[in-house]
Amino acid sequence: MSHPIVEFREVSKSFGTFFANKNLSFAIDPGTIHGLIGENGAGKSTAMKGLFGVHSIDGGQIFIRGKAVVPQGPKHMMGLGVGMVHQHFMLAGSETALDNVIVGEEHVGLFQKIRRGKVLAELQALSAQSGIPFQAWNTRVQDLSVGDQQRLEILKLLYRGSDVFILDEPTAVLTPQEINDLFATLKRLKSAGKTVVLITHKLKEITEVTDAVTVLRRGEVVTTLRTSETNASALAKTMVGRAVSFTYSGPRTDVAPDAKVCVEVKNLRVDDPFDRVKSASFFVKSGEILGFAGVAGNGQSQTFKYLSNPSAFRGRSSGDYKTLEGAALKDQTHADPEQLRHSKIGIAPEDRHHEALVLDFNMNENFFLGQQSDARYQKYGMIQKSSVREAVVRAIHEFDIRPKAPEHPLKKMSGGNQQKLVMARTLDPAPEILYIAQPTRGVDVGSIERIHAEIMKLRNEGKAIILLSSELEELMDLCDRIAVFFDGTLMDTVHRPDFDLWTLGQRLGGSQ
Amino acid sequence: MKDILKSFLGVFIGLGVGLLVVVAVGENPLVVLKAMTGALVSSPYDIGMTLFYTTPLIFTGLAVAIPLRAGLFNIGAEGQLMVGAMAAAVLPQVVSSPFLAVFGAILISGIWGGLIGWLKARRGAHEVIVSILMNFIAVGITSTLANGMFKDPDSQLGETAPVAEVFHSVPFSFFAGAPTGVYTVFALFLPYLLYGVMKRSVWGYQLRAVGLNETAATLYGIERGRVWILAMMAAGAVAGFVGCMEVFGNAHKFRMGFSPEWGFSGIAVALLARGKFSAIVPSALLFGMISKGSLALELETEKMTREYAMVLQGIIILSVTLTHAYKKRAK
Ligand SMILES: Nc1ncnc2c1ncn2[C@@H]1O[C@H](COP(=O)(O)OP(=O)(O)OP(=O)(O)O)[C@@H](O)[C@H]1O
Ligand SMILES: [Mg+2]
Repeated sequence: MSHPIVEFREVSKSFGTFFANKNLSFAIDPGTIHGLIGENGAGKSTAMKGLFGVHSIDGGQIFIRGKAVVPQGPKHMMGLGVGMVHQHFMLAGSETALDNVIVGEEHVGLFQKIRRGKVLAELQALSAQSGIPFQAWNTRVQDLSVGDQQRLEILKLLYRGSDVFILDEPTAVLTPQEINDLFATLKRLKSAGKTVVLITHKLKEITEVTDAVTVLRRGEVVTTLRTSETNASALAKTMVGRAVSFTYSGPRTDVAPDAKVCVEVKNLRVDDPFDRVKSASFFVKSGEILGFAGVAGNGQSQTFKYLSNPSAFRGRSSGDYKTLEGAALKDQTHADPEQLRHSKIGIAPEDRHHEALVLDFNMNENFFLGQQSDARYQKYGMIQKSSVREAVVRAIHEFDIRPKAPEHPLKKMSGGNQQKLVMARTLDPAPEILYIAQPTRGVDVGSIERIHAEIMKLRNEGKAIILLSSELEELMDLCDRIAVFFDGTLMDTVHRPDFDLWTLGQRLGGSQ
Repeated sequence: MKDILKSFLGVFIGLGVGLLVVVAVGENPLVVLKAMTGALVSSPYDIGMTLFYTTPLIFTGLAVAIPLRAGLFNIGAEGQLMVGAMAAAVLPQVVSSPFLAVFGAILISGIWGGLIGWLKARRGAHEVIVSILMNFIAVGITSTLANGMFKDPDSQLGETAPVAEVFHSVPFSFFAGAPTGVYTVFALFLPYLLYGVMKRSVWGYQLRAVGLNETAATLYGIERGRVWILAMMAAGAVAGFVGCMEVFGNAHKFRMGFSPEWGFSGIAVALLARGKFSAIVPSALLFGMISKGSLALELETEKMTREYAMVLQGIIILSVTLTHAYKKRAK
């Protein structure tokens, strides 16, 4: 047997007194896809950042191809053939795809202009040869789909000669189709002899593409297994320490026959160069969940954005938008977030980092966002710090947010824990109507179970809920009806008895 | 904490490089150093004058630092303090209480500043361009008034008639004649007061939220336009204190060109403080000392002029920026 290409021996990393990684030992064989799983905050990203040299490790040793290496930084590790695509992309959005590859190349400098053509040709050849399709070299990165951005990141690493590809939750923000494409890419890398480290919370993906998997729990390695010798539920149990159910099995009360319509939208149109809504009409009754399903760019996200802040769409939207307030439907066609809040609508937006959180704020400050006029948290224009803190402490317990420190800056929290805070805030004060987007993106299986139970509890209490998710399984598990978006149009709403993964998938692709 | 150390390091490197410049022009750096520092503390009067130079810089530093929190760059402090001064010089003809005169003056300079925020919020104009233009307008208006409508008939210069004695703020006698009084005390406390306001008040929270993540702030019900207007109003009001200090505490009238570009030095003060309110006082003090100390250079050396203060300030800002830009690998 050959040397492992990467080996961790007793690697530790602490932040202050907190051990994010504790004596990690595991090995990764060359030419394999190696999974790395664990709950939110288990230390997956920390371990891989240590390997990639983003931060130094405190103890232990890392071996690359059998040789002890002290990672000095990403440049150093790239030189040794180790490349990483971060959990949150690090591409420069306003630059073109090509420039993102060129930037960071040391030997370009003055001759950039001249080299561009050559680099482009090399990249195109590389793309063809590796079977990783990418064309939009002159498009600005911010205008690329996430799937394209990811392929760009991978091609960039290939171009720089990486042998080991670390992908930190690459699938969290991808559509099912894009995930298939990504896995095809990974398999091609593997057959070319490259090694892939894949961090993901979707255990199905682990069983589908990896050869071996290492499980972390609270900063320590629980075990490393051959994927062929385990399965999703066993992995979940190892990860969380208890049995986890992947589908909701709790109570589901029937929607009352006289349930009131809480949200009513008629003939919604939204103009937008990238994601247009041509026509959407739907309603949600109290005690039911309406799912929004669609492939990215087909109008479901835009509809959700409109519902969350109609005032931002003034002049480029038309149609009726009403929500139930008291006993009557109230016109919200031009409402702003503050008015929606008064109408007891709770919103968890889609993009955690850009729309939902202020990363430079701590948990308390982020919890206060949106609560500026709430008498519980503010008096005479002064923030009631202690009441906010109490609420955060409660949320920490209820949602098992880690670390359990309200003063912890969001920036330093793991992605899944950030998401839990967003959910906790959305439910305070208890809304009557909820718009929830991607509630479990980047969240571990144990917490997904908890969040799903929470959503279902709200439903059973009679709240009206709109759920936008790129996970069809999640929608099918929770929703009463699913609205199918295609080409900017809400085509149809499918009722629960008719849910079927295959047909829904077909409909999202545009077939009748 | 580490940030503070970096800033200190930057300041010392900057001073070192500044003294090298002195050597380069053929002067003895020790003489220069002695002249500059000696002039600061040799007597209560000197201390008073140093504080007198520092006070406006605290105000204008804040006038830049406050909007910075909301993501706005205020180049307009110079115009705001001039409008404040003119208002302070004229209001005593209308109101009888000194308190009302001060309040009115900062209200007017606040509105002047708020106008910049309003133009950005409602018309989409860029605040930097607008505040530069507003500076020109402020110079135009105040000099027209000082030479016309409100000109002191007994004076040859472009200045207004002196305000009545009840409006004067009396300097502390300790400083033996330096015009240093309540405004200085107020200025020394103001940054810390505002720090608390930023941390504790909803207003301050909204300002920071808009500055850090405009999209999220908007989506969660914070009106960024309102925040911009209020941030610029606060900036204008704080800058207006410079005008009040000049008119009520120093000259007792509006004099054309009274400000040696305090508004622009405020940008330097805020940059050196890295926008942190708690660092505004030391930062302003450093620049106040350099300005005061450099006055002695013309007497004590042959080739150096007071403009050396500008050179030194520039070098210090540069070196502080560089020490902060130098990042050790996160450990
Ligand atoms: N720079 C930092 N300073 C302090 N604590 C940190 C820092 N980075 C990470 N942590 C903490 O270390 C722990 C592990 O974080 P890490 O990002 O490695 O988790 P993860 O396993 O990747 O989780 P997720 O699945 O949610 O992404 C978390 O509790 C996190 O709060
Ligand atoms: Mg992570």
